[in-house]
Amino acid sequence: MNFRVLTQRMFLTLALALVATGVLAAPPSYRLAVGGLACPFCAYGVEKKLSALAGVERLETNIEDGSVIVTMQDGMTLDEASARRAVKAAGFSLRTFEQVPPGALEGQ
Amino acid sequence: MHTVLKLAMSSLSLAAAAAWGAPITFNTALPVHEGGYVWREQLVFMQSADDPTPARRDMQVTGLVSVLGYGVTGDFALFGMLPWFDKRLDMRMGEQDLSRSQSGVGDLTVLGRYTAYQYDAPGRTLRVAPFLGVKAPTGEDDAHDGLGLLPPALQPGSGSWDALGGAVLTYQTLDFQIDSQVSYQANREANGFQAGNRWQVDGSLQYRLLPRRLGAGVPAFLYGVLEANLVHSAKDRANGISDPNSGGTTLFITPGLQYVTRKWIVEAGVQIPVSQDLNGTALETDYLFTTGFRINF
Repeated sequence: MNFRVLTQRMFLTLALALVATGVLAAPPSYRLAVGGLACPFCAYGVEKKLSALAGVERLETNIEDGSVIVTMQDGMTLDEASARRAVKAAGFSLRTFEQVPPGALEGQ
Repeated sequence: MHTVLKLAMSSLSLAAAAAWGAPITFNTALPVHEGGYVWREQLVFMQSADDPTPARRDMQVTGLVSVLGYGVTGDFALFGMLPWFDKRLDMRMGEQDLSRSQSGVGDLTVLGRYTAYQYDAPGRTLRVAPFLGVKAPTGEDDAHDGLGLLPPALQPGSGSWDALGGAVLTYQTLDFQIDSQVSYQANREANGFQAGNRWQVDGSLQYRLLPRRLGAGVPAFLYGVLEANLVHSAKDRANGISDPNSGGTTLFITPGLQYVTRKWIVEAGVQIPVSQDLNGTALETDYLFTTGFRINF
C-alpha cells in the first residue's frame, strides 16, 4: 500500500466517521397519529401534554392529517406508552406511533 | 315577567356551560385536557319590550358570565359558572311610569361532565357526555328598592339550591361540527317562590368557512354557526299557588360566527325567538345578543 492509497483510505474513513457521527447526533423524531384531532383549540391540549414529557425539544402539529411530529433533545428518546398516556390525558387517542428515519424530515 | 327572565337566564347559564370551543349557546362533549383550564367570559344582552298589556313592560337584562373549566382527567371536567346581572324593568302602572332595577352577582353553578362514549378517527371524533350539576344560592335574593322587595325575576339570585343534568353529543370533523344536548333543571322553593322546572333541547351546526383548504400546521378556523334551542318552563309557584302568567315554550334560532385558534376563541351570535308559546301574559323575548371569548391554558 503506497502513501497515496493510505491517505485516500484515511480520508474516506474520516469522512464516514463524520457522517456517522452527524447522523447519530441527530435528535430522534417521532410521528404520532392522533385520533379525534379536528380543531385548533383541541390541538393546544395535545401539544401541552406532549411538551410536558421529559426530553421533548419541539412539536409540529399538522391538523389536516392529525399528526404531531415530536423531536427530542439530544440523547433522549420517546417511548410509545408515555406518548399514549399524554395523548389520552389530552382527551384524544394515539392511533400510531413511529420513529421518523433520520433525515426524513429535512426539507419539510 | 318571570318567564321571560327565566328563559333568558337559562340561555345565559347553559351558554356559559359551553366553556369549550363549539356551540355558543350550550355545552359540548369535547374534552378539557387533564390539569388544564378553559376560561370563558360571555356578555349577554336580552331585550323584551313587546308587551301588549297596558303595563307596557320593557325588560332589559345584561349578563356577564364567567366560566372556568378544569380537566380533572381527559374524560372528566368540572365547570364553575358565576354570572353578574344588571336587570331593569320599566313599566306603566296607572298613570305612572315605574322603573325598577338591580345588579349584582348571581348564583354559582358547578357541574361535572364525563365522557361516557368516545370514538376517535383521523380528523373526526364522536362523543357523548352526560353532565350533572348544582346551582348554589350565592346571589342576593332579598334586594329592595324604594318600592319595597323586588320581585324574584329582578333579584340577582334565586335563593334556592337547584339541580341540573343532561347529556350532550358531539360529532366533530375538520369541516364541520354538530352538537346536540338534552338538559333538565329542577328548581326548589325559596322565599315562598319556586321557579318552574325547565327542560331544554339544543342543536348546533358549526361549519368551517375559512380557511377553505387546510394547509400545513394548525391554522385558525372561522366557523359559521347556526343553533336552535327549544326551551320549556313549567309554571312558577308563589306561596304554593301556580302562576298562570308564567311558563311556556320558546324556540330560539341563533346565527353566529366563531373564530377559533389554538389558544383562544372569539364569538358572537344573536338568539332570535322564532316561536313563543307562553302562558297568560308572560312577557315574550325580543332577542338575545351574546358575545365573548374563551382561553385555553
